[in-house]
Amino acid sequence: MNAYPLAAISYALFALAAAGFLTCGSLVRMLMFLELMLNAANIAIVALGPQPASQAYALMLFAVAAAEAGVGLALIIAMASAFKTLEAENIKDLKG
Amino acid sequence: MILTAAIYILSALAALATLLMLFERNPVKAAMLMLAALLSTAGIYLALSAQLLAALQVILYAGAIMTLFIVAVTVTPQAWRDRPAPGRMARVLGLAAAVVILAELLKVSASLKIFTIGAGFEETGTLAIARELFGRFIFQFELLGLVILASIVGAAALALKKRTAP
Repeated sequence: MNAYPLAAISYALFALAAAGFLTCGSLVRMLMFLELMLNAANIAIVALGPQPASQAYALMLFAVAAAEAGVGLALIIAMASAFKTLEAENIKDLKG
Repeated sequence: MILTAAIYILSALAALATLLMLFERNPVKAAMLMLAALLSTAGIYLALSAQLLAALQVILYAGAIMTLFIVAVTVTPQAWRDRPAPGRMARVLGLAAAVVILAELLKVSASLKIFTIGAGFEETGTLAIARELFGRFIFQFELLGLVILASIVGAAALALKKRTAP
């Protein structure tokens, strides 16, 4: 299989997730799209990299994604109780 | 041949799920669509002969991270009440930025057209991956343990702050 369609697949998934990230206003949703962007990058690494090394690298990226989701959701829950909103546009105060 | 078809079909499914997520108002339905996209990605990994990654994708992404998202949506009633109403301008600008990103990426990687990936299903053993992780990538792997510890401490500190504050 040619490498270009594989790269194009991951680019398309990345661009769709980026579109969602840039257009939606809710923080939870933004984090979801962020995870999907990371997922698309993972596909590119696994598809195009040298085989055992790229899979080991993707495995480490899984752990980074899990850590990011944990901290991000803890932040979102803390912000939800501090600001009483989860819309990024409504959060304007620097000092909650 | 069948693997190539599987990759195309599964990636179309993942793209469709992500596209539907863009227009879904209900946060739980959006989370379910994200689950569909993640499971399709697990299928893509399987077609790319990355069996361990496919299993981990189902367990870690579709299991653990998805549960976290559902819990976060459940405990924050604001996620339900807030109706996203981004300005028309912001929406158009975001979509345009995504299109530009896609076009640039496709243009930059045009040189990949001469390469071919070895077709055919082959078994990538966990031993080979473990050799990489504990051989060449040992420093990164140990550092990753520190990252996860820091994230656990950070998440716990963020969650406990409210209870201990006067």
